[in-house]
Amino acid sequence: MSTAPTMIELQGVHKSYGQLEVLRGIDLQVTKSEVVVVIGPSGSGKSTMLRCMNALEPIQQGKIIIEGIDLTDSHTNVNKVREKIGMVFQSFNLFPHKTALENVMLAPLKVQKKSRKEVETIARDLLVTVGLSEKADSHPDQLSGGQQQRVAIARALAMQPDMMLFDEVTSALDPELVAEVLNVMKDLALGGMTMVVVTHEMGFAREVGTRMIFMDEGVIVEESDPREMIANPKEERTKKFLGMVL
Amino acid sequence: MESLLNGFEAFQRYYLNWQIIQETLPLLLRTLPIVGELLILSMFFSFFMGLVLSLMRLSHFRVFRWFAGAYVDFFRGLPLLLNFVFVYSGLAIVGAASGLRFLILPSVVAAVLSLSTTYAAYSAEVFRAGIESIHRGQMEAARSLGMTYGQSMRYVVLPQAIKVVIPPLTNEFIALIKDTSLASVISVQELLFTAKEKMGVVANPTPLMVAAFVYVLFTIPLIRLAARLEKKREGGSKGDKTTGGSTGKTSALISADIAAQLPKGGGIQL
Repeated sequence: MSTAPTMIELQGVHKSYGQLEVLRGIDLQVTKSEVVVVIGPSGSGKSTMLRCMNALEPIQQGKIIIEGIDLTDSHTNVNKVREKIGMVFQSFNLFPHKTALENVMLAPLKVQKKSRKEVETIARDLLVTVGLSEKADSHPDQLSGGQQQRVAIARALAMQPDMMLFDEVTSALDPELVAEVLNVMKDLALGGMTMVVVTHEMGFAREVGTRMIFMDEGVIVEESDPREMIANPKEERTKKFLGMVL
Repeated sequence: MESLLNGFEAFQRYYLNWQIIQETLPLLLRTLPIVGELLILSMFFSFFMGLVLSLMRLSHFRVFRWFAGAYVDFFRGLPLLLNFVFVYSGLAIVGAASGLRFLILPSVVAAVLSLSTTYAAYSAEVFRAGIESIHRGQMEAARSLGMTYGQSMRYVVLPQAIKVVIPPLTNEFIALIKDTSLASVISVQELLFTAKEKMGVVANPTPLMVAAFVYVLFTIPLIRLAARLEKKREGGSKGDKTTGGSTGKTSALISADIAAQLPKGGGIQL
C-alpha cells in the first residue's frame, strides 16, 4: 500500500463561491489503483472537490497535486494534466452533433494528434468494452441514458487516462439503467484503474470501493473501508446520513 | 363616394401608372447584380466580423471584452444612414485634405464597409446568444478531455451554436436586403437609386412602387424560409436536454431584437 505511487493529492484545499465556502480544508491522497468512493448529503462539496481535481473549478487556498504536478502552479499546463484524468458527468455531456464513435474519437484526434486510423481502432475497441459496438453510428439523442453514459465513459477512456473521476454518473438514470453503467465501472476498477467516485450507490461502494469518504459541509468527516463504514459508522453525522440512504 | 373614387384614381395615376411600370421594371431588374454584390459581400464580412466580435466578447481577456462591447454598443446605436455618410463623405474629406487618397472610397466599397460594420454588431449579438445557449457542460466535457479553450470552441461549441443562429441570421439577411437601399444616399446605382432617378425623369412616383414590389418579392421567400428554420429548430431541440444541448429559445428572442431595427430612414433623401 505504502509503495504504490500517489496519483492525486489534496492539501488543505479551500474553495468558495463568493461568500459561500464550499470546501473548508480538504486533505486527501489517492494512490494507484485505489477506488475511493465519496458520499455525503447534497451541498456537502463532494462534486466540487471532484471538479477541483481537474481544475474545472479554481481553488482559493491549498494545493492539488496530480502525479507530482502541482495543478495550482500558474506555470502548469492544465490541458496536459487533464489528458491524464478522465471525467464522467452526471448529465453525460455527450456532444450531440457527433455520433457515438465520433464522440470517442474527437479528443485523441485533436489533442493527441493520432492518426484517424489508429484512433478509430481504439474507439471501436472501447465501444466493444462498454457493450455498444452496434451503436457506433448513433447520435446521442438516439441512445438511452445508460447507453449515453457508457459512451461518455468510453470517450474519457479514449485518452488513455491514468485515473478516472465519476461525478454522480448514475443519478440521472432510470433505475433499470443503473446496473449497466455500474458494471462498466466495476470492470474498470478490476482492471486496476485509479478511480474517485461520487455516488449514492451503496451496493457499488461496498463491492468495488477500496476506501470510503463521508463529506459534510465542506470537510471530510469520516474515512475508512466501505464495508466498515456502512456497517459501523463512527461519526454521528455519518450514522444519520447512512440511516437515510440505506 | 365620388371623392373616394377621385382619390383612388389619383393614387393609380401617381403610383400605379401602368406605362411607367412597364418602363421601370426592366430598368430595376438590371440593378440586381449590384444589389447582390452589396448583399453577398456585406453578409460575408458582417458574419465573419460578428463571429470574431462575439468570441472577443466571451473571451477571458478584459481588453477584448471591452473592445467588443464598445464596438457593439456604438454600432447598434449609430443610425446606418449616418454610417453611410461618415464612411463615404467623411473619409473622403479627410483623405482629400490629408493626401491619404486611399481614404477616398468608391461608393460601392463605402457601402459594403458601412453595411458590414453595422451588421457585424448585430451578428455579434446573435452569435453571442447562440454560443451562450450551448450548455456549459459541453465546454466542461471538452476541457476535461484535455482540449484547449480554442479547440473546445471550434469542435464542440461552435458547430452546435451555428445551428442555433441560422434562423436569426436569416432574419438579419432579410433586413440587410432592405438596408442595401440606403446605399442610394451615396449614389450607388442600386435599385432604389435607379427608381428615384426614373421618378425624376417621369415626374411620377410610380417607380418607387415598382422598387417596393421588387424588394418584397425577393424577401418573402426568405421570410418563409426563416420561419421554417425556426420551427424546425424548435421541433428538433426537444431531445437535447439529456445531452446538455442547446435550448432553442434563442432564435425567437433575437428575431424580436432584429425587428426593432428594420429600416425606417430609406426615404429621407427623396
